[in-house]
Parts: sequence; C-alpha cells; structure tokens
Amino acid sequence: MIFYFISMLIVILAAFWALPTAIKVLFTGYSVTKTINLGKESIFNNINFVIDPLSAFFIIIILIMGILGLIYSKGYLKPYIEKGKSINSHYLFYTALILSMLGVVTCQNALFFLVIWEIMSLSSFFLCIFENEEKEVLNAGIKYLIFMHISVLFLIIPFAILSIKTGSYNFESFSLILKNNEALADIIFILFFVGFGIKAGFVPFHNWLPEAHPIAPSHISAIMSGVMIKTGIYGILRILMLSGGVTKFIAYFVLIIAVISALYGILYAVGQSDIKKMLAYSSIENIGIIGIGIGVGMLGLVYNHPMVAFLGFIGAIFHIFNHSIFKNLLFFGAGAVYLKSHTKNMELLGGLIKKMPKTGILFLTGCIAICALPPFNGFIGEFLIYFGILKGLSINSFFNFLILIFAFAGLALVGTMALLCFTKAFSITFLGHQRSKYAKNVKDESPHSIIMPMGILAVFALSVGLFPGFMFEVLITPVELLTNGLNGIQSVEEPLNILQIVSLVSAVLIILTALLAAVRYKLNKKIESAPTWGCGYDKELKRAQYTGSSYVSPFLSMLKPLFKKVYDVEKPKKLFPKSAHFSMKIEDIEEAYVINPLLKFDEWFLSKFEKLQNGNLQTYLKYGLIFLLISIIGGLLI
Amino acid sequence: MMNFLIIILNLLTVLFLPFLMIGIIKKTKAFWGGRYGASVFQPLYDFIKLIKKDFVISNTTSTIFRLTPLISFAAIIIAAVFVPLISGTAIINIPAGLIVFAYLLALGKFFNCIGAMDTGSSFEGMGTSREACFTSIVEPAFFIILGSIMALSGNYTFESLSKITTNAGSYGVLIIIFAVLALFLMVLIEGCRVPVDDPATHLELTMIHEVMILDNSGFDLALITWASGIKMLLITSLIAKIIIPTGSPLYAVYYLITVFLVSIIIGTVESSMARIRMSHIFEFIFIMSSFALIVMSLVGAKVFGG
Repeated sequence: MIFYFISMLIVILAAFWALPTAIKVLFTGYSVTKTINLGKESIFNNINFVIDPLSAFFIIIILIMGILGLIYSKGYLKPYIEKGKSINSHYLFYTALILSMLGVVTCQNALFFLVIWEIMSLSSFFLCIFENEEKEVLNAGIKYLIFMHISVLFLIIPFAILSIKTGSYNFESFSLILKNNEALADIIFILFFVGFGIKAGFVPFHNWLPEAHPIAPSHISAIMSGVMIKTGIYGILRILMLSGGVTKFIAYFVLIIAVISALYGILYAVGQSDIKKMLAYSSIENIGIIGIGIGVGMLGLVYNHPMVAFLGFIGAIFHIFNHSIFKNLLFFGAGAVYLKSHTKNMELLGGLIKKMPKTGILFLTGCIAICALPPFNGFIGEFLIYFGILKGLSINSFFNFLILIFAFAGLALVGTMALLCFTKAFSITFLGHQRSKYAKNVKDESPHSIIMPMGILAVFALSVGLFPGFMFEVLITPVELLTNGLNGIQSVEEPLNILQIVSLVSAVLIILTALLAAVRYKLNKKIESAPTWGCGYDKELKRAQYTGSSYVSPFLSMLKPLFKKVYDVEKPKKLFPKSAHFSMKIEDIEEAYVINPLLKFDEWFLSKFEKLQNGNLQTYLKYGLIFLLISIIGGLLI
Repeated sequence: MMNFLIIILNLLTVLFLPFLMIGIIKKTKAFWGGRYGASVFQPLYDFIKLIKKDFVISNTTSTIFRLTPLISFAAIIIAAVFVPLISGTAIINIPAGLIVFAYLLALGKFFNCIGAMDTGSSFEGMGTSREACFTSIVEPAFFIILGSIMALSGNYTFESLSKITTNAGSYGVLIIIFAVLALFLMVLIEGCRVPVDDPATHLELTMIHEVMILDNSGFDLALITWASGIKMLLITSLIAKIIIPTGSPLYAVYYLITVFLVSIIIGTVESSMARIRMSHIFEFIFIMSSFALIVMSLVGAKVFGG
C-alpha cells in the first residue's frame, strides 16, 4: 500500500506543479517555455519543454484522470491484494505512465519526444499485463507491444528526415521546412498520421485496441482509452500546427479515414458481448468523431473558411475532453461490475441495478453522454462538429459537398448505432432478470473508492452539458493556435449563442421531467405490483428474456458482409441429446482478411530461412568464415 | 406580442393536434372499412380516461421504468419548440436546430428502449431491438435530406425548407416531391403505421412500437401515446413547411389542411395494404434512403451543375 501513497503523492505534486501553469496558459493564451541546457557537448543541449494552450489542455485532462484513476485503483485492486498479489510495480508503472504522458505533451525535442513516447508505451504495456499469469493477457499484451513499436517506427522515419534536413531536433526548426516544402510536408504528414494513428486507434491501425483494453485492469483501460490514445491525436494536432496548414489531399484523407473509423468502430461495438471489448471499439468510434472534427477543421483551413475551421477544431478538442470523461466513467463502471460478478460477458449478467443502484445510475449517465444525447456533455462536442459540417457545405466545390454530406449522414448513423450499442450494454447488464450465477454473485454496492471517482465524472459530464459556454470559451485559445493561419476575424458569437440556447433547453428538459414527476405524484394513484405481462401466462419465463445478441441481431443481419462470424455449434443429436451448445463470436474483418494473411505470409517467408539455423556448430563456423572472407575481400576492393 | 402569440399557437397545436390526427386516421380507416367509427376526438377522451386510471407495475422493473415516460415525453415536447408549427415559425429558431431536434428525439428513444428492456419481457425486447434498428436507417436519410436542402439555401434553420423553389428554380419541384415522399415514409416509420407496424394489433410478434409499451399503464401510458402522436405531428409539420409557400398569410389554414390530408392519406394507406413481412421492412426503409440520395444529387446538380 505504501507504493499507492507514493504514487499518489507524486501525481498530486505534479498536479500542484503543472496545473496552475496549465490553467494560466489556457486562459491567457501565452505559452511557457522551459529549456534544459547542459552545454554544447552534451545531448541534453537546448531541449525545450513548452506548455502552450494545446499542451495545457492535455495536461489538465491527464492530471484529472490520473488522480481519479488512482482513487479508483484502491477499490479495484483490493481483492487482488487480498489474494496476495504484489501491486508495487503496478503503481511504479502507473506513475511512470502519468509522468511520461505529461512529458509527451510538453516536450518539443524530437529525440526526447521519442524517448518519452517509448517510456509511455512500455509503462502502459506493463500496466496492461497486470494479470500476467493468464495466457490470453500475455498474448494480447505482446500484440499491443508490437503495434506500439510499429507506431514508433513510423514516428522515427519522419523525425529523422526532418532532423537531417534541418540539423536540429527542435520542433520549431521543423516548422520552417514543413511550411516551405509542400510535397515533403505531405509525405511527412502521412507518416506521422500513421505513427500517431496507430496510437490513437484510427482504422485500419486499430487492431491492438480491442485486444489490449479488455485485459487491462479497469482503471488502466480507462486511462489508456480516455487519455493515452489521445496523445496520438495530440501528435497529429501538433504536426498540423507546425506545418501551419495542409493540402486539400491531406484534409480529405483525414476526413475519410475518420468517418470510416467512426463507422467501423461503432459497428463492431454493437456486435460485442464482452463489455470492455465493446468499450474499446467505441473508443475507435470516438477517435473517429474527433478525427471528423479535425478533418472538417482542415477543410476550413484549405478553403480559407475561418468559421468552418474554428468549429471543426473546437468540436474535435471538445470531444477529446468529453470522451475522456464518459469513457473513463464507463470503464470504471465496467470494472465495478467485473469486480463483483467476475465476468465481462454481458450475456451472463442482468438485473444488477437492483443490487448496485448507484453504479447502475452512474453507468447510465455515461451511456447517455456517450450517445451524445442532451443534457450531457457528449452532445456539445458533436453538435459543434455537425455545425461545422453544415457551414462547410456552402464551400463551393462538388467533391467537398459530397464528402461533407456523407460525413454528416455518417455522423448521424454513428449516433444511432451508438444508441443501439449502449441501450444494449446498459439494459443487458443492469436491467431485467438475472441471467446466470455470475449475476447472482453481485450482492451489494461497489465500495466508495469506486463510486466516488465515477460520481465526480458524472457531475463533470452533466455540468459541461448544462453550462457548455464556459468550456467553449476556455477552449478558444488552443483552437486559435490551429487556425491562426487564417485571415478574417473569427466571430465566436454565433456558436456561443446557440450553445447558450442548448444549455437553456437542457435545463428546461430536467425541470420539465421533475414537473411531470410531481404531477404524477400529485395524482396519487394506486400502484399495483404484478409480474411482467406474458400474454396471459402469469408465471414469468425468465429464460425467454431477450439476450444481447438477439437484441442486435436484426441490425447485424442487415450488415452481414461486414463481419466474419465464427460459430461454435454442437447440435443436439439422437433421441436423448446429452450435450449441445452454441456460441458466436464476431471477428474483425481487418484482422481476418488483412493482418492474419500477412502474418501467415511472414511465417511462410521466414520459414525459408529456418535451414540457416540448424544448431550445428560447424555450420556456424562456416558462416563466420564466409563473413570474414567477404569483409576482407570487400575491404581490399574498397 | 407577436412572439407571445406564436408560442401560444404552437403550444395549442402540440397539445391538441396529435389527438386529432390520430382521430382522423381512425375515422378514415372506419370509413374504408364501411363502419361508422368513433368520434375524431376519441383519442383525447382515451387520454383523459388513462390519466384517471391506477397503475399496474411489473415487479421486475426498477426506477428506470418509471422514469422513462417522463423523460421521453419531456424530450419530445422540447423538440417541438425547434420545429415550425402552425404559425409558420418555430418558437426557438436557431441555425442547426435540426441537430438539437433530432438528438432530443433520440433521447426519448433511448429511454423508451431501456424502459422496455427493464421489464425483462421477451416481447418488449423484440420490439425494442427492431425500433432501435429501424431508427439507425431512418436517421441518416433524414439528415441527408435536410442537410442538402440547407446547403441549397445556405441558411441552417428550418426556414430554409420553405425556400426550395426560390433557391432551386426548376429543380425545386423535383426536390420537393422527393423530400416530401421521403418525409411521408418517415411519418409511417416513426409513427409506427402500416406497412411498417400495425398500431391496431396488440400481442403479436409482428409489432414494434406497441409491444414496447405493453407494461405501461395509467398516466405513463397516456404520456407515451401523446408523445408518439406529437412525434408524428412534428414530422408532418416539416412536410407542411416544405409545401406551403413562404410568407403565405393563410399559413395556419394551409398547415391544418396539410396535417389533415396527411392523416387521411395515412388512414387510406392503412386500410388499403397489409403489413410488410418483418424481413422486408428494411427494404421499405431503404426506399426512404434512396429518396434522400435523390434529393442530395438534385441539390448537387443544381448548385454545381450550373
């Protein structure tokens, strides 16, 4: 437990040190620079740590979520401690993760950025494989590790190109090259986009996400999904800022990838029955929505339309903030359920709201917020993106019209699919009858250390939804960094006024609901309790209750070609069948048709070289001899 | 003063017209069935009767079930504020009001879904699953239609619906035809009418919306029926806004005529055809999507085709 307090102390100290500066920077818009300079010969020469409004925004999210995650971990890890599992290294890596994320969003030196980035990836890997005695945890963890290193590879290449061209590692010096050489800037941007996109989880680089999130402890999934994958978005925004604008091609590229990510993510989220896997896919969806905002903002930059750019970027940044709130809330909720019921499979749960009402209501709050429904925060971010798209429709280009109207409809489709996905998640887990012994495991409410962080997040979600104007004004400074290449005064009056009306509407909605409840109470009618209506049969048939997969089956059957369904069926045989079972799993088509064949090819190709390593000492000596000969001859020739 | 009048008029519309609409639909069906039929005000009497009744609540349910009718009704009433009703303007007329409108309806739907699932009944699960599934196809089409029309005028309020002919010239007529057809299909789908759903049948595995409210009673049920009437009225109001020319002095009269006409057509459709098989409903809903795409390409042709 001592490590818990040390970790807490360090994070709180970091908060005391960084939060005031970050808040000041965010409000004033002036950045603060700290340079580490240990002389010309040292590699610690001229390393800039800059807190500009964009970094400040991320710092605030990282610290808030970091502290809430720590509080939550106390309740979540308790059963593990009782079982005698050591958690010291866990807190060590947790602290490392929080601090390295702070480093990533402030460091402005390519070399050190990569080093800190790597620390972040590694510490999150170790956090992920907390339950490392299980085989699937290790497998998924290693997959995550591999993906992160592909990501780093894609980051090293453009950084190397830039630092060779400029002879410096500083981000500022990259800016000049990127601004002057458009063709190079495009290639660099795409490389960065792939590198950061793997971290963020854009489709088709998303495969690690649905594997790594379910295996990690819930507060780690929350930090990873709510905060860490956003560092990928941060990277993309930072590169965008350095290059001061993009070409038309890049803007459409980002927008299309983002729309596909959003649709793909939510589509697979609908099909999952593992609650944390579902949340992981929904993270891909939300990254897609953020990407749509960034894409719309880029289009605004390309076509020199300040309002569109402003709305796109502020929508994206707003959604980053919102997503970290409700995704953490939902992962915390999923963790609370797992802790009591010992299963992540929604199909085995049900009726939990009667046993854990607080957890249930808080989880519901998260579900409403993530579906972007008023009066919660999710609506505000998506509304700004929608508004940006609508404004962008007036840009005079047919291709633009076509892409934007599909983005518009795509966002609507994502919204309705999210509705399907989260009504399923909530009602299958918390409502109705208990479905199995796992649901019966749940006897009482979650501990305070779990309820409290969830409560704080729910209050955040509601208050941002009710008073969006404040957040909106705070976020203007980071957005200005991204749009400052535009001429024309930005008028923020219009969206601000609309947001005020939205907040009024949300308030009226709550008041009206309360009023209706009061009217119903005043009517004072008798309430009779009876079993659920079963078509005249008075005994309830609990086993006939709708399951999660039947709930989404009409929808999924409509989109059959987009899935690979893997069935495991044993039909009842003979007159007195002894055993029969049925289970269905939905497999990622990208994994099934792209990644797995690639891996197979790799295996086949590399197996051709197996003969080289035959364990025979003489053969190895022969290799050494050949190598020596080649190097001597080569040396002589040169 | 003018604003006050608009608010009063719109409120009265929302309060009474939904019942009248359902009454007219029923009367039309009675007419085609060769019956005399109940008075057109019967739905209103039913509503009052429901309020006076006691509750029977399933013992499987939780607070969510009791909360559902309240929230879904409040959401729809507030959504009505953003739609131009009998006065020709909305009470709150803001750019992108479409999105607030659509998401408030979605909030209502969200609660309807979880409220129905709360009973643990297999019928209600079935209905919910279908309802949520159909919405997911309807909504994008709705957004494409309204987004295209708004792009045409460069005005992002519902006002732009009435300016199609001025903005689109000869394309305008076609756009109006397809937009109105698509919205009419949406009334049928969202209002749960034949051929998507049959509001007259209770307790059959074929139904969608009706099955979701099997366990509601008394005041709750009253609110739910009222809310579904309002939803139908709101979409019909959008049709009225498209058809009726701008600044017409007799807007209110034309509006009422449109609403009654739509109700009569719905009644006629219900009397003249059967429900579609469940597996074919998707195809029916995709008709709306294809109309939406036609509207979009017409707008594209107008704006960028010269």
